[in-house]
Amino acid sequence: MTAETELQTTPEVGGMGHSKKRKEDPRFIRGQGEYIEDVVLPNMVWMDIVRSPYAHAKIKSIDASEALAMPGVLAVITGKDLEKAGLHWMPTLAGDKQMVLPVDTVMYQAQEVAAVVAETRYQAADAIQAVYVDYEPLPVLLDPFEAMQPDAQVLRPDRGPDKQNNHIWHWESGDRAATDAALAASDKVVPIDVYIPRIHVASIETCGCIADFDPVRGHLDFHVTSQAPHVYRTVISLVSGVPESNIRVKTHDIGGGFGGKVPVYPGYVCAIVASLTLGRPVKWIEDRSENLQADSFARDYHVHAELGLTDDGTITGLRVKTLADHGYSDAAADPSAFPAGLFNVITGSYQMPQAFVEVDGAYTNKPPGGVAYRCSFRVTEAVQTIEQLVDLAAREVGMDPAAFRMKNFIRKDQFPYHTPTGWDYDSGDYHAALQKALDMIGYDDLRKEQAEKRARGELMGIGISSFTEIVGAGPSHTFDLIGIKMFDSAEIRVHPTGSAIIRIGVQTQGQGHETTFAQIVAEELGIPMDKVKVEYGDTDTAPYGLGTYASRSTPTAGAAASVASRKIREKARLIAAHLLEAAPDDLEWTNGKFTVKGSPDRSKTIAEIAFAAYTNHPQGMEAGLEATDYYDPPNLTFPFGSYICVVDIDKATGQVKVRRFVAVDDCGNIINPMIVDGQIHGGLTMGFAPALYESITYDELGNNQAGTFMDYLIPTAVETPRWELEKTITPSPHHPIGAKGVGESATVGAPPAIVNAVVDALSHLGVRTIDIPMTPQKIWAILHEKGVA
Amino acid sequence: MEFSGAVDIPASREQVFAFVTDPNKVGGCGPGVESIEVIDPTHFRAKAKVGVGFITARFVVDLEIAEQQPPDMAIIKAHGQAPGSAVDALGRMNLVDGPEPGTTTMLWAAEVSISGMIASVGSRLVEGTANKMIGQTFDCVRAKIVAGR
Repeated sequence: MTAETELQTTPEVGGMGHSKKRKEDPRFIRGQGEYIEDVVLPNMVWMDIVRSPYAHAKIKSIDASEALAMPGVLAVITGKDLEKAGLHWMPTLAGDKQMVLPVDTVMYQAQEVAAVVAETRYQAADAIQAVYVDYEPLPVLLDPFEAMQPDAQVLRPDRGPDKQNNHIWHWESGDRAATDAALAASDKVVPIDVYIPRIHVASIETCGCIADFDPVRGHLDFHVTSQAPHVYRTVISLVSGVPESNIRVKTHDIGGGFGGKVPVYPGYVCAIVASLTLGRPVKWIEDRSENLQADSFARDYHVHAELGLTDDGTITGLRVKTLADHGYSDAAADPSAFPAGLFNVITGSYQMPQAFVEVDGAYTNKPPGGVAYRCSFRVTEAVQTIEQLVDLAAREVGMDPAAFRMKNFIRKDQFPYHTPTGWDYDSGDYHAALQKALDMIGYDDLRKEQAEKRARGELMGIGISSFTEIVGAGPSHTFDLIGIKMFDSAEIRVHPTGSAIIRIGVQTQGQGHETTFAQIVAEELGIPMDKVKVEYGDTDTAPYGLGTYASRSTPTAGAAASVASRKIREKARLIAAHLLEAAPDDLEWTNGKFTVKGSPDRSKTIAEIAFAAYTNHPQGMEAGLEATDYYDPPNLTFPFGSYICVVDIDKATGQVKVRRFVAVDDCGNIINPMIVDGQIHGGLTMGFAPALYESITYDELGNNQAGTFMDYLIPTAVETPRWELEKTITPSPHHPIGAKGVGESATVGAPPAIVNAVVDALSHLGVRTIDIPMTPQKIWAILHEKGVA
Repeated sequence: MEFSGAVDIPASREQVFAFVTDPNKVGGCGPGVESIEVIDPTHFRAKAKVGVGFITARFVVDLEIAEQQPPDMAIIKAHGQAPGSAVDALGRMNLVDGPEPGTTTMLWAAEVSISGMIASVGSRLVEGTANKMIGQTFDCVRAKIVAGR
């Protein structure tokens, strides 16, 4: 184990392991990024959206006459208009369908009801006020448990005759009978109920697009803030009937995605219809409240889990039953075979003899969704549950939570480890990561301090989370989105003068792809990273890819970049052999050049070889030096880590203060340590956020109660604690450069560490578990009930 | 949301009842009312501009006197819509003798459901704003009855 990736290149070349500054940052720092809002096209018009005040209502009529008479108004589009073209419903990535615009019934508050197009943004915003919709309110169904009752009103009568209920799907994993037997034979079974509330990615840039249909060429340019431009192109073609060759999806700089920009939203379809109708570019930019109220939410899992134990604290099995609230449509962006995502990674970092996991999806009168919020398909829900449950189990058998984990961890020599729910963990060293975290934070001293403080009546807690992530979807035998296999791609061209361009199928939204992909090419080909241009986000030029989410860029497209580079290197070997008049097998590759074995003075650099590829290539060989790779990963990758959090709780106010937070991460080999640290800083903050602040709630009528940043509280630098970071490095054995992915580890790992710390501070009062967000009101109410506050 | 209260008005029960069931009179006291249209003796349509915090919406409100026992009791239903927001209300008014001879006490209760943008982004302001508007409305009703007596 080492905490640093061994450097193979000089700082000038800047391959793997070098903390190179990000190539994209100069334009951001200077305020010269180009976001969708910045893009202005000639002859462009604006769209705005009329939304439903009711969470469930019949539409009796829509009167747009006053709006249409207003200055600058060009069109008002309703569900009835779309129905004529069969565009009033659209498929979701999860295999369900959702309304583009409703024909007769609205299903959630803030649902799109009509789209207004006008010459200016202000005219469009004024005109939506003059579209009169007459509604007849219907009873709302908000509780997913009620929705699953046999006598509940059926929210989606459009489904088949055998599906006249609110049960979307049932999914299970593992061996039910063997797990029941294992738990029955256990000395102790520890249950827990965990609600992981509905939250929102709240990216600073909201959704937006410009649909630009040219009726003369029959061509649609679709500018959009999307994490998956190629998937959009295919979906748009399928929905609109425009040939895929006549559609170009173009992203610009993206102000945060976190999963929220994977789905195709109704507003996008409306803008496209408007542009097809008017033959002019139509721009639509969501405002903050629309974004928070109507875009895909994340989480909303009601989990009941039971852990079997022997008296000496050995885990015997895990049984999990979960209800997932999907709103009125399952618009999750999970791979087709995984309606509950990768939730069955819930066996976590532990030797688990048996496990059985079942999840049911339910419809309610809430916005559709089920996206990730910076997490690889429901892994956060899994980690939150198992890490809280393990802490509780340790307490119930009278063990220290660190010792309990050490006892039950999968050992280093057990990898690859096959879990009872079917995953093959590629590599890990869980004991080393936790030990490093314990040493860093001074665990034993903290326990002594806690005992002293408890004796004085002060509330201090220490919480651990030892998570296993599952990222890099995914192998084509199991993973697809709407049938498209989840490979990813890279195409590299080396220019005559020795610089290069790499085009990738994934899409940066802040991850630093322009830097890290250049570093992969630098590592493999010895071309200095500042001479490698990274391009993405234009479906006319980038190779087909499934986009960036679920920490998949490095595991998939990163591997493709590496493999494509190696293909180029093999051709370069033949050219070098030609130039050096040597046999290809007599050449060895070191430090960016091919050298004749035993003759260190006879060598050709990659730049010399590139020049020859266009000026002096061998007879019979194609000119040029380029390669493409579509990488189908053989397995997922399994990053992991151990986090420890120390909290102090103010008894008078219920305020939780995170005093220290140590994060030891292992994401395999590291491409750019500074970027990885940045990813972990951001991820920890986005784990801290739902633990203490964020949640979307609804009033009894189904009104979203978190429609602005006044009510949907996101932490700023003021609230955020200082993060103490360390690494262990356990390379992925199957990834070409041994990397695993890291964008989401911290978001997944952080919340249970914070919850466990707070529960640890209050456990002597009889507190077993607390649901997030742990707001001061919630903590104060517990303290008050226990007679402490 | 449920609201209720009692208001003393220095006028007879008949005078108060006549005022509050006449849309052209009481309408001028409604919050932000811009116009009142009388459709029939028990159905009215009001247009009103209402602001909650930074949100302002122009509501079209259909009002119906659903039940009345002059001069003692009336039940009024209201259904109002504005772009992105809606309000549904059921109000009940009972008139009884006031503390002084010749005065009337109006006992009132209302169930109000607010939906959409105002309920969502203005949720923490709605109750306070509603209380303020109700207070202003009754102040106005009392003043106009006194002035017109």
